[in-house]
Amino acid sequence: MKNSRIKSSQWRWPLGVGLFILIILLVPLVGGLFWQYLIANVLLLSLFALSFNVLFGMAGYLSFGQGAFYAVGAYVTGLLMLAKLPLLVSILLGFVAAGVLALILGFFCVRHTQVYFALLTLAFGMMVHAIVWKWSSVTGGDDGLIGIPRGSLGVPGVISVQLEPFTNYYYFLVIVTLFAIYFLYRIHISPFGLVLRGIRENSGRVDFAGVAARKYILIAFIIAGLFAGLAGALMAPLEKTVGPAVAHWTKSGEPVFAALIGGPFVFSGPILGALIYIGLKEFIVRLTQYWLLIFGIVLLTIVLSFRGGILGFIQEQIQKKRSMY
Amino acid sequence: MKREKKKGMNRREFLKAGAGALALGTAVAGGLSFPAIARAKLKDPIKIACQGVHSGPLGNNGEFMRQGALLAVEEINAKGGILGSKIEFLFRDDENKVDIAIKNARYFVTTWGADFLIGIDSSGVALAVGQVMPELNKILIVTHGSTNKYNEDIVYKNKIKQCFRSSIPLYLDGIGGAFVAKDFPFKRWAGIVCDYEYGHTSWKLFKHTLKSMRPEVEFVSESLAKLGTVDFSSHIAKVLTANPEAIYAVNWGGDLVALIKQSSVYKLYEKIGVWLGTMGGAMDVLTGLGREYPKGLWGTTRYWFLYPDTPRNKAFVGDYHKRWNIYPSHNSECAYAAIYMIKHAVEKAKSLELDSLIAAMEGMPLDRPAGPCYIRKEDHQAVYSPPWGQVIHDPKYPMPILTNLKVFPVDKLYRHPPFPPIE
Amino acid sequence: MLNTILYLVLVGIAEGMFLWLVAAGLSLTFGVLRVLNFAHGSLFMLGAYVAFSLVKISGGNFWIALAIAPLVLAIVGMGMEVFFFRRIYDLDMSFQLLLTFSFVLMLEDIVKFVWGPLYQTSPIPPALTGTASILGVSFPHYYFFILVVGSAVGLGLWLFIERTKWGKVVQATASDREMSSAVGVKVPQLYTGVFMLGAWLAGLGGILSVPIRSLSPGLGEYVIIEAFVVTVIGGLGSLKGAFIGALLIGIFHTFGVMYLPVFELAIAYITMAIVLIIRPWGIFGVREA
Repeated sequence: MKNSRIKSSQWRWPLGVGLFILIILLVPLVGGLFWQYLIANVLLLSLFALSFNVLFGMAGYLSFGQGAFYAVGAYVTGLLMLAKLPLLVSILLGFVAAGVLALILGFFCVRHTQVYFALLTLAFGMMVHAIVWKWSSVTGGDDGLIGIPRGSLGVPGVISVQLEPFTNYYYFLVIVTLFAIYFLYRIHISPFGLVLRGIRENSGRVDFAGVAARKYILIAFIIAGLFAGLAGALMAPLEKTVGPAVAHWTKSGEPVFAALIGGPFVFSGPILGALIYIGLKEFIVRLTQYWLLIFGIVLLTIVLSFRGGILGFIQEQIQKKRSMY
Repeated sequence: MKREKKKGMNRREFLKAGAGALALGTAVAGGLSFPAIARAKLKDPIKIACQGVHSGPLGNNGEFMRQGALLAVEEINAKGGILGSKIEFLFRDDENKVDIAIKNARYFVTTWGADFLIGIDSSGVALAVGQVMPELNKILIVTHGSTNKYNEDIVYKNKIKQCFRSSIPLYLDGIGGAFVAKDFPFKRWAGIVCDYEYGHTSWKLFKHTLKSMRPEVEFVSESLAKLGTVDFSSHIAKVLTANPEAIYAVNWGGDLVALIKQSSVYKLYEKIGVWLGTMGGAMDVLTGLGREYPKGLWGTTRYWFLYPDTPRNKAFVGDYHKRWNIYPSHNSECAYAAIYMIKHAVEKAKSLELDSLIAAMEGMPLDRPAGPCYIRKEDHQAVYSPPWGQVIHDPKYPMPILTNLKVFPVDKLYRHPPFPPIE
Repeated sequence: MLNTILYLVLVGIAEGMFLWLVAAGLSLTFGVLRVLNFAHGSLFMLGAYVAFSLVKISGGNFWIALAIAPLVLAIVGMGMEVFFFRRIYDLDMSFQLLLTFSFVLMLEDIVKFVWGPLYQTSPIPPALTGTASILGVSFPHYYFFILVVGSAVGLGLWLFIERTKWGKVVQATASDREMSSAVGVKVPQLYTGVFMLGAWLAGLGGILSVPIRSLSPGLGEYVIIEAFVVTVIGGLGSLKGAFIGALLIGIFHTFGVMYLPVFELAIAYITMAIVLIIRPWGIFGVREA
């Protein structure tokens, strides 16, 4: 009996993942442009939320400023694309720029814990927002960058795929995001990930452990910044426009929501959370204009009773059942 | 109103007769081989989607917009719709956010099946959605967002033909304001300006235009206030220290309400000769300030409900007030006008095909409550002239109103192609 | 020139007093309950709206609203603390923050639902519509009134915390909750009381802002960020810090707008970041063990 149960749980996850990927790849065939657009947004938010969760779910650090890195990725990529640089180069540079900023800001942030950390990230996020808003000669100010091209992919002289058609860019985005998610998964199950989770569980001992722990948090901070930046970088050609709102703390709140709803302590929690957040919002706005109230209630319920989010709750139920045998 | 009804009746009767004759003729000729001719009625329903700010501090804009559009839709449907097809209308909140607005636009066109899009309050959002219109390939009529980049860059320079606008851009604020200012003897002007594109450009346009008419004018101080400023004390203080004779204020909504209140408290209005507030005539500011709105301040709005004094306008205001229990704001009229723009264009083009519609709209005269209007071909911009006026308290109305109205000829009020840069 | 400086300082202090009124409750709540209440700005907003309605109902009487509105807020605060906040004291800071944030969202829509999305404001009480002169600079009565009230609140709180028995109990509980409980202090009731006081202060700030500002459902969000900046700079948990921090921010902002306007947007956040980096417990805060 026990053997079969272990075996069944072994194929459950890969099957789930496989189905998930299949569905995403098939969407353009069965759904219209809007569905592709929604799924693209779900994937971007998943990436953003997963990156946030490296700090939160794994290390226990709540950042209210991830929008800063998302914004840097978006603006750098947007500007480079407008300057007609190749797509892959622009995205790579956006990714790296976000990482550099994370290294600089992280150096200051990781010396603090809990509330101070959260407030400092909030302050940095809003500083980026202010700079982006004011530096209108570069960023376009509150109008932002407009008309960002989607570029093309290919081997020069051999083959070239234009990404301007929406579905083409959709596939590109899907592939890059899936790889990024896989990369984050590898981090999650690596020894490094284990150490991070150890830090969360023993948060009182961080200072005790001293410098070593801080180094880990800094690396986590950089990873979080890098992938938030990647999400932003991929977003810029998708929407063809980037504005200062992407750096505002309300944008930084989205990955927080997603991670919490789906479950911050399970790797795929933020992905489910992103799906629910976007889906729920799409659904609620058709019914009522008071969607802030609904979201507030959802958040309240989660904090009071479902701190592991949906996946955490499901895990708990499974464990309860297992412990009964 | 009665005139409108007759027109509609005539057109409908004509079309009915025409459709009947064609159907008969086609049936006789074995019509199944010419289905396009047999169907004189277009797609039914014709879908129009609208979005505006419906949440947060600017949320009343979207509500006025929705009310105005809905009134038009109900009026048109009651009279048989557009060429016999009813209008189906959908409104969504764009939260003043670019990503939400684009998402809504995509949803409207690709999933809901919208034939036309209208709305949008924020300039930045208008520009962003405008950029997406070639992909969505439907007509967008902006009803509020005032940036001159929309008509000058997006339509005129970049030739994005799907974009139109029924509301006057910031020419009214900058150029119109200068025309009001030039008649005053004051030479020392200061500006309290909201710190974003709309504010900067309006202020620049004002300075540039006023200086060209009154070269001796000096701009002694300016203070940029971020959007959402609740406490203008520092800005008022800064401007006061320069001893201006007159002030030009570019702020809107709740910011303007707070600014005017605080300016009153600081006795600013006793120290200067004239105050020009670009959004000072907007309904939300008038109702927001109520009796606290000092009389004599100047303001404007993209549609003033008491101007012009025509049966068309009176009927609109009367119907609107009856339906919604409040007086229409500029958002209401511009959305209402946008719906009628669509109706007239479809009737003229007799088709929903994009290029015919665009051709029908270009140069089209529009009979709207705000007065005589036409859609300029070069930049798809509605050309009409709302007034600047002075605030007074009239017991007939629950809020202050504008009087002493000044209206300017449109060729002076509007910028023209090729749209030289504004210094 | 001196007149200008004096005027700017007065304006700065007036701006700062408002910040103080918001930050006082926030700092108190954090100092004692160790919860950073994101919803504090929303309580300020609610206080303003309640006051607005009271003014309308009472036919324009500002003083009645001034007396009653903060009490209403105290009751709301009690409800929030007893039914919700009480359950999260032992949780991760992050979850506490998130719970308070949920109230920001809910209160915004509740306010919009009850009072509508249009801007509201009330008249300045007739007794305070004039101006007075200080050293040749004319300044509005209403802002002098704010200075007086703000200072009175500061003095009152200081007296309460330092000079009364209850104040000492609050201080003791703030620094060591378990010990306090062990010596018989009814900690849960104390917590509720402190939270109610914080809400009362938010309500007071709200009502005082009504005659000179405009109310809208998004007000809570604007106000809380400013309150964060002040309490961080002054020192989270330190009332003295919040008071001085608020005045400093007000003055910095006024001089900044006057002489360095390009930084206006970022000045607050830059200062906040610098303080958090160099001296996270703020100018007057206490370094935590």
